[in-house]
Amino acid sequence: MTQQTMRTAARGRWAESGTAGAARSRSGKRRPGVVRQPKTGMLFAAPAFIFVAVFAAFPLGFAVYMSLTNWPLIGSYHFTGVHNYSALGRDPGFIHSVLFTLLYTGIVTIPILVVGYGLAVLVRANRRGSVFLRTAFFLPYVIGLPTLSYIVLLELQPNSGAVNWVLAQLHITNGGTAWLVNTDLALAATCILVIWFASGLTMVLLLGAMNGISGDLYESADTLGASWWEKERYVTLPLVRPTIALSLIISIIGSFLAFNQFFILTQGGPGTSTFTVVMWIYQTAFVDLHVGAAAAMSIVLVAVVGLISFVQFLLLRNNT
Amino acid sequence: MPIASIRHRLTPMLLLPVLAGAGLAGCATQAAPINVKTPGFGDNATGVVQFWDRSTTSPFGQLLVNKFNATHKNLKVVLTPVQDTQYVTKLATAIRAGDAPDLVGIDDINSQLFIYHDAFADLTPLVNALPEKSKLSPGALNLTTENGRYYGVPYVADMSVLWYNKTLFRRAGLDPDKPPTSYAQILSDAKAITKLGHATYGFGFAGRCEGCLGFTILPDIWATGKNVLYGQPGHETAYIAGNVPLEQTLTLYRQLWAQGLSDPESQVETGTTWGKDFLAGKVGMMPLGYGPIASAPASIRSQLGMTLLPAPSGGATATFDGGANFGIPLGSKNPSGAWEFVKWALQQQQQSLAPAAGFEPIRSDVLTPQFEAKYPFAAAMLQGVSRGQAPKTIVYNIAFNQPGSPWLNMFTAAVFDGDIAGAIRAGQGAFSTAISLGKS
Repeated sequence: MTQQTMRTAARGRWAESGTAGAARSRSGKRRPGVVRQPKTGMLFAAPAFIFVAVFAAFPLGFAVYMSLTNWPLIGSYHFTGVHNYSALGRDPGFIHSVLFTLLYTGIVTIPILVVGYGLAVLVRANRRGSVFLRTAFFLPYVIGLPTLSYIVLLELQPNSGAVNWVLAQLHITNGGTAWLVNTDLALAATCILVIWFASGLTMVLLLGAMNGISGDLYESADTLGASWWEKERYVTLPLVRPTIALSLIISIIGSFLAFNQFFILTQGGPGTSTFTVVMWIYQTAFVDLHVGAAAAMSIVLVAVVGLISFVQFLLLRNNT
Repeated sequence: MPIASIRHRLTPMLLLPVLAGAGLAGCATQAAPINVKTPGFGDNATGVVQFWDRSTTSPFGQLLVNKFNATHKNLKVVLTPVQDTQYVTKLATAIRAGDAPDLVGIDDINSQLFIYHDAFADLTPLVNALPEKSKLSPGALNLTTENGRYYGVPYVADMSVLWYNKTLFRRAGLDPDKPPTSYAQILSDAKAITKLGHATYGFGFAGRCEGCLGFTILPDIWATGKNVLYGQPGHETAYIAGNVPLEQTLTLYRQLWAQGLSDPESQVETGTTWGKDFLAGKVGMMPLGYGPIASAPASIRSQLGMTLLPAPSGGATATFDGGANFGIPLGSKNPSGAWEFVKWALQQQQQSLAPAAGFEPIRSDVLTPQFEAKYPFAAAMLQGVSRGQAPKTIVYNIAFNQPGSPWLNMFTAAVFDGDIAGAIRAGQGAFSTAISLGKS
């Protein structure tokens, strides 16, 4: 069988299963020669179905139920209807944490993409040392955010941390800056940490997309006398757009769910000024012991993150 | 069947586990009560006792456990240290999950929270039968009591006092045998010591450690007979606005900070290296517990003096009657073994080991001449136990002991930002919110 006939045959089978298959199930008759059976399909889908049922759907149902009760971490509980949801709008701490999370996401998203793109451009050619640079740029992501946060926590200490020491040597500060007890400085330090941490992943994703672009396109562009910038602008950028969308979504969702870096560096302080949404949920559930209210916040967060993912799918679909 | 059709059939099917999750959530149950009146309860128990100790007191716990396990063949105690700020969270989660430890050594100020929620076993007949009951620290015992019944016993004491460096006092021209007895004296002594220069400071505190600040500052207010929280557990009210001693206390710390009389580390100290600069001889005065001092070299200890924490205007002193209480959570799998260990840990011989781990005993009869000679500081602290207080409340954890708590926010705004009036005004509202959150 040639490739062409194989493709035609395959198309025919899909078409049949799509239209005639539905008609068959209604009439109850089976056509001879059709191998597809409903049970087989179910069987193939079963592992994924069971996984999603046990690890996603079941806990989600549990959480929805809890969000409709007062559910304390210790003691008995009772039904409160939608009280937890209506109380969200009156909880200044929750609102502040949402706004802070949006601010944080707004600050880090574009720099992560730009730095990640720049790093990918820097290391995509097979020059000497590019493998080393790729590894070096991706290393922060491999080490992990909690570990990096602890390192940064030590290096930001006044009079003893490396960051303050370097700034003092450059005569920029006196070396005694208490970064983490000032909201603006703490946010700035955390954003720099996260950009350093997350741009490596964006770099790897874009690198894959850039290496997938056929060399022919660049050769054609060269023949037409395109400059480096024109090749970047009219060849590379349009072809890596889906990957840019993907890495943007990954980084936005990551920023929305930010916890480790703030939990370790600022513990939400000074005051409650650097509490992210997830930290506030954690605080509500495990410090205030109000798991029900925290469940309601989580459900809202799930809906928002779900919405972002939905928009991502729309964007990707339009681009490909 | 086409893929799309499978998806359309499977998606509604996923609703089943969602509903199942919701249904199961409705079936959560409470642990069964523990009958402590069973004959032989707490004697010749066997098996293993899982013991959760707060990490602060766990050095003493480990010392006891090692000794107990070496002398008891059939009963073993396994200690798990739990970080202080995480203790309430972890214990509440374990109880909710039906997997509570057999015995807890819980921060005494958090005992009431679990007692209030009926999470601990009623030990009244057992406590009444203890031969040393009358000698137990009354303040700590009170924190295990609800409606005249005992839901725990004191385990070990951790009291706060004002430590001072006699060498620095002498060098600054101050009398090393006259520690400050009022805020005015703390301020003038701090000025004299800071004048010595060479990165020497008059005072030190842990400005980012909410637990440390409560432990060392609240006694100043108690010394005046006032408090910050009033009312029985579950009915607390906050007294922040118009609280004169509280305002005086915040003002003192503001002065010590703004006038450069405090160790600069004070602003960032989270409690992990609490007392380090004081024990390095760079700080003149510092309110602390006994722990950091107990582990300091003898050459430094010999330079130190201590006094109870003074009221702002002097004339009275107080101390935080902290430490830990024992409790047996409902759901304990070996309550008899747990109580056997508790009875043993309360004996005079075991309690007299507390200073070796940096703590004070919880029974008064440990105070013998030999004990005094061996542990002069711990003995002096034990003599001040009648001046001790601890808040009997279910909201201490949420109002004081957490990062971002109203207590820490108020202290930060007043001391580091200098807005004392604003901090107190905001504090009244924040404390009231925290209390209502903690009660509901």
